Amino acid sequence: MTEKLTNEETVTFTLNGEEKTAVKGELIIEACEKNGEFIPRFCYHPRMKPVGMCRMCLVEVSSPRGPSLQPSCYVEIQNGMEVNTQSDPVKKAQDGVLEYLLLNHPLDCPVCDKGGECPLQDQTLSYGPGESRFIEEKRHFLKPLKISSLVELDRERCIQCGRCIRFAKEISGEAEIDFAGRGEDTEVAIFPGKEFDSYFSLNTVQICPVGALTAVPYRFKSRPWDLEQIESTCQFCAVQCKLSVQSSQNEILRTLGIDSDAVNQSWLCDRGRFGFEAIYSSNRVNSPKIKKDGEFIDVSWPEAVEEVARALSVAKIANGPDSIGFIGGARLNNEGAYAFSKLAKGVIGTDNVDAQLSDGIDPNLIFGLRRATINDLDQAEIVVTLCGDLREELPVLFLRLRTLVANEALLLAEFSIGETPLSQYAAFRRSLVPGKVQNLLEELKDSFLSSFGRDDFEQKDGGIVFVVGNPGIGIDGLEIEHSIRALAKSFPNAKFLPALRRGNIFGALDMGLSPGLLPGRVTLKSHGSFFGDKWVCVPEKVGKNTKEMLQSVIDGTMDTLILLGSDPISDFPDKNLVLKAFEKAKNIICVESIMNESTKYAQVILPASMDHERAGTVTNLEGRVTHAGDKVTASGASFDDWVIASLISAELGDDLGFNSREDIGSEICSFAPAYRSTEKYFISGNDFGDGVVVPIAQVPVSIRARKSDPIEVPGLSSIERQGSPIRSGNSLPSSVAKVGSESQISFDNSMFDLNSTVSYKLLEEKRESSFYLVLEKSLYDNGTLLRESKSFENSARESYFKLNPVLLAELGVNEGDMITVSKESVKVKGRVVADSLVSVAVVVASWNQNSADSRELISLDNVNIVEVER
Amino acid sequence: MATNFFGGFKVSFKQISEPRVTTEYPKEKKPKPPRAHGRHVLNRYEDGMEKCIGCELCAGVCPADCIYVRGLDNPMDDPVSPGERYGYVYEINFLRCIHCDLCVEACPTEAITESKMFEFSFTSRADAIYTKRELLVDDDGKPKAQPWEDWREGDDRNTSAWMRATSPQGSKDYEGVVAWSSELGHGIRHPEGGQGDNRDDEATGNISLRETRKDHIFKNDGGRVR
Ligand code: SF4
Ligand code: SF4
Ligand code: SF4
Ligand code: SF4
Ligand code: FES
Repeated sequence: MTEKLTNEETVTFTLNGEEKTAVKGELIIEACEKNGEFIPRFCYHPRMKPVGMCRMCLVEVSSPRGPSLQPSCYVEIQNGMEVNTQSDPVKKAQDGVLEYLLLNHPLDCPVCDKGGECPLQDQTLSYGPGESRFIEEKRHFLKPLKISSLVELDRERCIQCGRCIRFAKEISGEAEIDFAGRGEDTEVAIFPGKEFDSYFSLNTVQICPVGALTAVPYRFKSRPWDLEQIESTCQFCAVQCKLSVQSSQNEILRTLGIDSDAVNQSWLCDRGRFGFEAIYSSNRVNSPKIKKDGEFIDVSWPEAVEEVARALSVAKIANGPDSIGFIGGARLNNEGAYAFSKLAKGVIGTDNVDAQLSDGIDPNLIFGLRRATINDLDQAEIVVTLCGDLREELPVLFLRLRTLVANEALLLAEFSIGETPLSQYAAFRRSLVPGKVQNLLEELKDSFLSSFGRDDFEQKDGGIVFVVGNPGIGIDGLEIEHSIRALAKSFPNAKFLPALRRGNIFGALDMGLSPGLLPGRVTLKSHGSFFGDKWVCVPEKVGKNTKEMLQSVIDGTMDTLILLGSDPISDFPDKNLVLKAFEKAKNIICVESIMNESTKYAQVILPASMDHERAGTVTNLEGRVTHAGDKVTASGASFDDWVIASLISAELGDDLGFNSREDIGSEICSFAPAYRSTEKYFISGNDFGDGVVVPIAQVPVSIRARKSDPIEVPGLSSIERQGSPIRSGNSLPSSVAKVGSESQISFDNSMFDLNSTVSYKLLEEKRESSFYLVLEKSLYDNGTLLRESKSFENSARESYFKLNPVLLAELGVNEGDMITVSKESVKVKGRVVADSLVSVAVVVASWNQNSADSRELISLDNVNIVEVER
Repeated sequence: MATNFFGGFKVSFKQISEPRVTTEYPKEKKPKPPRAHGRHVLNRYEDGMEKCIGCELCAGVCPADCIYVRGLDNPMDDPVSPGERYGYVYEINFLRCIHCDLCVEACPTEAITESKMFEFSFTSRADAIYTKRELLVDDDGKPKAQPWEDWREGDDRNTSAWMRATSPQGSKDYEGVVAWSSELGHGIRHPEGGQGDNRDDEATGNISLRETRKDHIFKNDGGRVR
């Protein structure tokens, strides 16, 4: 996958009579393309295994029996091979294949979504026969056939290349579509009574080389020549896939995955692909609002900002800066996060700032770990997951890991609450039980790793990679942190990939939106004096996290909360705590884009622009800083977050000193230690490629050429080719290989001491008849951004409880029955789902789904014990 | 002297007996040349369905960027056009249009055609943008949508879909062969005579350029001028 910088073995071959070189093991089609000879193709996709199904790529290859036609996507290049891509037999073969493909192909181009960016159109024009001799009736199918709520299939247009089916089998591992029928009746089909129900279904639409698969949300919305595009970054989860955002008439219509070797390798999850629809929600906050007599009235920016500044100064004078707290920040980009960090810590002087909602991991721990990159998974021998279900939380990371384990490129040890799509591949797995995490990890060492020669993976740098996150709410964060510390100590050569899920949470933490931290992964203690010189002030002592802030509001030591694009009422585990705090708080100020549960409690709402409306940088779970562009203008009177922070600050009497986001970029690069030497990634422009992992790599990095081959991802390069109206920022980076090394800089993370472990113990053990409750998150729930996206508004499921089947038998309930789970007087009903991998001591509940709300049952105490009744 | 004096009127006297070139426009209008390009018309099939399928090929080809089209899923219970998709929004900005007819060439269904109506009258920029309401022919296939538009008897026959007599591959054999569907109010229109032998100007109502410009052509060449 990742090409090594070290010498690759090369072979020499002749291409149309000229001597060329190629890398050993490459397919002929790749070797020829690198040498400037494009071979037409349909079924071949560089991210999937070749199958040689469509025969479009036939070339003449020398063989002992003379030259013969062979599928270039299926045959590896050999030393001395003579390849001819131009000869008469090749031309005849291409003509024949295309004429044959078109026999049954309808003349749909004008109404086909692919028309204009269609590989079949393009290749017919370039390599086809020009006239058809077929005058008979073509085959007919009902069109279109809805195979899921997001995908429609037009079987008449299908050319049976198998790309969609192979994606479902090979990449996402959900073989829910397959060929049915034979001969001219062959069709792509779903299984009877089932849908193509996958989080990744729209990738098949992206790679289908004809218009057979179309995306329901984009269907008939525009034609390729209407679209303008920019390269940007998806900010729905912390993987931060690279994508192209395509719009027409200042309205985003679709996004396509970009083949970034380091991150998403061209795939996206469906949520990331069409989640932008939330921008067009009818509940967008379009102008600043102030609450008067219980009603929100629209006001001007100066009025709203004055109101905020007044509230903040009153609170600061009356009760000191510590009475003010900032909650959230994962939806901000780095520039916005830095500006608010500077406002909170450097102007107001409070350290009560937390971008996490008490369901993550302590950033002091994350920063102390040896961070892995996603590509490190390719090199690892063993990967251990101690986190939630990756398909639900970090979908595209799941794709990468699943492909690797399914191809037996590494061994997987899984620690999870219940069954995940990775469980079937795990060489070793244990079900987590609160209070037992540490013991279970000991078993990893004793009974799994001991069966290998330890040198196999331990000596090798990154031979073992741990993917660590919060496996479920209900397992105390401290217990997980404790276990991770222990792992880091026992495996000094291991690397860790932190699996927090919220959009730009890593950017927010890096910018210091967490108690005790300052921008650039440094602590208040170690760098307080440096920032003290540059900023107006820095907080004196380490502040509170979200849970502590809410508690302080309840007990009266804090009275002002600023919510940075966060909705604690629907997103914080302990809903009752939030409600109590919000009732009590004197001031709640929301910097928000869409009205939600929490904005109801606000005194002032300041409208912020959303993803794809604002430009800036973001940081993903590897620490990769990339550019996220602005494709459309912000809705209504919304401003970028950094502008809002600057306005508030200026009103408070201290200018943050930013006139543009580039100003913030250069301040980040000169102030924030981990971000030194990254200036060029903060300055507007497009040629960022995959961005850079901070602190900048100490070893040379090699990144595969970024391809924008029209057949690989129809729709990426055709738009450029068709020459959409010229507009700045309209181009994708050229497909030059970016192989290079960055200068070495030193960044010292020894201030984050991993050894400071206190032993962890459950405060209360469960009784015989009771259970530990753990909440699991899903990709689709009733979160604001999903609820407000047209394609996903009904995607939440009915609340459920997952139990071990043994318990089901004991309780006398069947899968699908309703059960009641209770804690003291609180009772919540939900449907039973059997999961044989959930421990018998645990009940797993759904998070933020329809009807019942299991969050009623949870408090963020050390342990949550519940009873189960029929 | 006198010869010189009257000699100066030579041209004038000669012209007195020539046919008059000017007409009392707008009372009287001359037939326009066969390929004159004017205001567009969106046609319907004989059963009343719209021909436009919202494919945006016209918008894509337009060199003046003056067409705006958006397609939509055809409601299956009450379809607007045959097939899955129909033109939901259709606008032409006549301040920009250069009447090149490329949109007509691009249209796969002969939905958009140009008539010979060239008299536009706008009082604002917004008026110059004709929408589906103005462009689409009415229930009888008549194009008149604005009260001030001066459509005269027979004018609406002269929309130019049927002008495309050349065959797609340029073969002479296909000239004059009808290759398109019928239209509401007109039925099947005959093709304009091309270079082929089978032209039927009578049937097509085709007035050749030579015919309309007779007043400018010498008698020797078949015109009226001496
Ligand atoms: S798939 Fe391509 S060739 Fe087939 S109808 Fe659509 S645009 Fe035309
Ligand atoms: S639906 Fe598309 S991707 Fe799937 S087999 Fe048919 S042509 Fe290939
Ligand atoms: S006639 Fe030419 S300029 Fe006018 S709308 Fe058609 S393509 Fe555009
Ligand atoms: S007028 Fe013709 S070319 Fe234009 S959108 Fe309609 S069908 Fe397509
Ligand atoms: S057979 Fe090689 S691309 Fe399909």
